[in-house]
Amino acid sequence: MPLLNDQTREEVKKVLDTLDKPITLDLYTLQIECGLCKDTHQLLSEIAELTTKITINLHELESENQHADTLKIEKLPAIIIKGEKDYGIRFFGIPAGYEFTSLVAAMLLVSRGELMLKPETKAFLDTLQKPVHIEVITTPTCPFCPGMVVIAHQMAYYSDKVLADMIEISEFPTVANKYHVEGVPRTVINEKIFLDGAAPEDMLVDKIKEALNV
Amino acid sequence: MSDPLNFSLSFSVPVQKEELYDAIIIGGGPAGLTAGLYLARYKLKTLMIEKAITSGGQLATTEWVENYPGFPQPVLGSKLAADMETQAKNFGLQIVREGVTSVDFSKKVKEVRTDHDVYKAKAILITTGASPRKLGLPGEDEYHGRGVSYCATCDGPFYPDKLLAVVGGGNSALQESLFLARYARELTIIHRRDKFTAEPLLIEKAKANPKIKIQMNKQVTGLDFSNAEERKLILEDVNTSEKSELRVDGLFIFIGEKPNTALFKDILDLKGEFLVTDAHHRTNVEGVYAAGDVEVKEVRQVATAVGDGCEAAHWINEYVENWTE
Repeated sequence: MPLLNDQTREEVKKVLDTLDKPITLDLYTLQIECGLCKDTHQLLSEIAELTTKITINLHELESENQHADTLKIEKLPAIIIKGEKDYGIRFFGIPAGYEFTSLVAAMLLVSRGELMLKPETKAFLDTLQKPVHIEVITTPTCPFCPGMVVIAHQMAYYSDKVLADMIEISEFPTVANKYHVEGVPRTVINEKIFLDGAAPEDMLVDKIKEALNV
Repeated sequence: MSDPLNFSLSFSVPVQKEELYDAIIIGGGPAGLTAGLYLARYKLKTLMIEKAITSGGQLATTEWVENYPGFPQPVLGSKLAADMETQAKNFGLQIVREGVTSVDFSKKVKEVRTDHDVYKAKAILITTGASPRKLGLPGEDEYHGRGVSYCATCDGPFYPDKLLAVVGGGNSALQESLFLARYARELTIIHRRDKFTAEPLLIEKAKANPKIKIQMNKQVTGLDFSNAEERKLILEDVNTSEKSELRVDGLFIFIGEKPNTALFKDILDLKGEFLVTDAHHRTNVEGVYAAGDVEVKEVRQVATAVGDGCEAAHWINEYVENWTE
């Protein structure tokens, strides 16, 4: 059974036809005890079939923490969306429901490089000295979530200092506990500063400043 | 979250920014999407500007829609919205996903400014809809996302086997209570009147649900959420002023709508923040129309928004046909 219905497949194809540079999707899965690893792999495969510009690299891990140190991948399935390089754009858990749009947006971003960030935001990102890790906690049924995910991913694309994750929280209850998630989107910066709800770009910038004490 | 995996895409083709559009629709809920469908079918060059990545507005946050005709089985609000968008796009509606920052309706050609661009059109349709109204209690903003929510489909799943309260007495409050009761151990509906304004069918369902308790003639006057393990609401009886406390883990608020009209405050006639329109959905500025929840009206449903959008499209088509610079 395909995951994408004909209508969605056609819509996705139309969007992917506008891709420019090639995209690599690094998919990290676990062979056993990984709820949605297989579905995520199938989803990416169905997307890749629609274009010649997407390559999937599947990494089947033996343990969840195999790449915890080097790549900061400790939740599976994980997808890293790479263009000419690894910009720090990742998805943890399946990008289903509304997050499917975030996934396609990330592909367009690394392939076409069209940024929507405000000039002030870029100016701020240019001044970053220390790493910024943005985790946007989402559920597939949250229509406000992709907005935050896309802003975070754009920041990651623009700045080498920014790493931006989408986390589909229903697959990772330990993260929900760690960050006391009771609503989405909940955005976490450097694991300590929180931003709740769909917030404008400026507010996210303010929270990053707070996390960095600048 | 037991929903089966579903994937649908809300995406837009690049638009020509220098173009003079026949019509620009601001806001992509049911009213805007319906107008978009009709305007595109009238062969008007139409652009919709929607700030969210997905269309649908409040419809997208509604779980099940049971009162929209043509769906004998309840339809997911998100699905209905996505299908409306697809249908309109099939006929040529263009959509950009940007937030409008200002508008200039002072000249014959109207301008709509976003963070990134300026778009121009002969006619404007405002379908910015409304956002959930807040109670206005101290702490309500502070605890939004940490115990206070306005979106059941977004946040309901975070309260498995928990104690919930819902404030409100209309269709949304009761419909969303039925959804939230699936997760909650117990859910209390708090309503300040002695009667619900919701449809009798929903009231019956809520009353029959063993997890749902009802407190009528009560209003929430305070939130004591400082201890996350022991959150409490302070309630007051509207008749006797007697105070009581209610232990909750989460509070969901569905007390009506606040129109999204801040952009038009000094430009268009408003009544109680809603846009004043005539029977042709015209505002007080020529060439500027409004439809759906953002208008002054009594009934705010998906069905009425759809009807308003359709009517407005008709009058905009007539206006554009007779338009000269």
